[in-house]
Amino acid sequence: MSDHESVRALLALSAAGLLDPDEERLVREHVCHCVSCASELEAYGSLSLELSNMPAPQAPVYLVSRTVAMVAAEADRRQGAVLAGGAAVFACVFVLLVGQMLRTMVSEDAALVWLVWASISSVLGAACALVLASRRRLERSIV
Amino acid sequence: MIYEAAIDESFPVAEPPTQVARLRSGDPAAVAEAVGQYQQRLYRYFVRLVRDQASADDLFQQTWLNVVRQLHRYDAARSFDTWLFAIAHNAAMDLLRRRPAESLEDHEFALSAPGQDAFSAVLAGERAAILAGAMAELPALYREALTLRFEEGMKLEEIAEVTGTPLSTVKSRVRRGLEAMKQRLCKEDIL
Repeated sequence: MSDHESVRALLALSAAGLLDPDEERLVREHVCHCVSCASELEAYGSLSLELSNMPAPQAPVYLVSRTVAMVAAEADRRQGAVLAGGAAVFACVFVLLVGQMLRTMVSEDAALVWLVWASISSVLGAACALVLASRRRLERSIV
Repeated sequence: MIYEAAIDESFPVAEPPTQVARLRSGDPAAVAEAVGQYQQRLYRYFVRLVRDQASADDLFQQTWLNVVRQLHRYDAARSFDTWLFAIAHNAAMDLLRRRPAESLEDHEFALSAPGQDAFSAVLAGERAAILAGAMAELPALYREALTLRFEEGMKLEEIAEVTGTPLSTVKSRVRRGLEAMKQRLCKEDIL
């Protein structure tokens, strides 16, 4: 490839400001004595300038408020999940501790009855919480 | 470079760390502030890339949801702009890959010949509309490279980070995109 051809291949990138200093110098030196490359570079320069100044499409006015509401709902959901997880861990530890206390202070049967009762009520409680959470989510999505 | 003087400096280029910290804490005011701050830039990027408003709206919302979900992975040493646009890029690419007719990077693409409407638009002085029309006909990855370089004013390394491609690929996309647009605009005799 001749000097002229190799520089010609760099003209678009020169106008875009994407050449390294050595390549840029090569282009500058070449266009000083090559009219056709100088004209080509000028055309790419104009095109680059016009691309930088193209009118930007305007975002609809509702977009920010809708996005912020969606992000807030997501943050709310994540916070709710963290709280629910923490509460579940606390409940498990509490049930096991009470069970252990009953076992040592009363009897193994009492501890077993406590664990069964606590497990049933926990499952029912968790089911209610899930139903309520899904209803709340549905209400929020309708709003 | 010639075009650099024209890049709009009023757009934010770096995020103050305090705002990122507030975003991480889930502060709704910080979220609203960030969404508003990047609204025009992000929306423009999506419209150029996917070429329809409804998809741009969806991608805009999806991007901010992903930002909130992935904030814990954000490295404050990196530019927030680049990180945000990388999330936007991934969301847009997922959508474009699902479009059967969409050409992401067609090496044999050709822009269509100018029509009568284009000529009228020139007469009316609507060069920008023709320019946007010519850009819209480029393959998606070339459109993206051009909008990140010329409208966002990103450096080569930043574009490579956003798109997850080598520097040489970014250069090649910018060059081919510019060459195709110049060819088209020369045919219309407006360059």
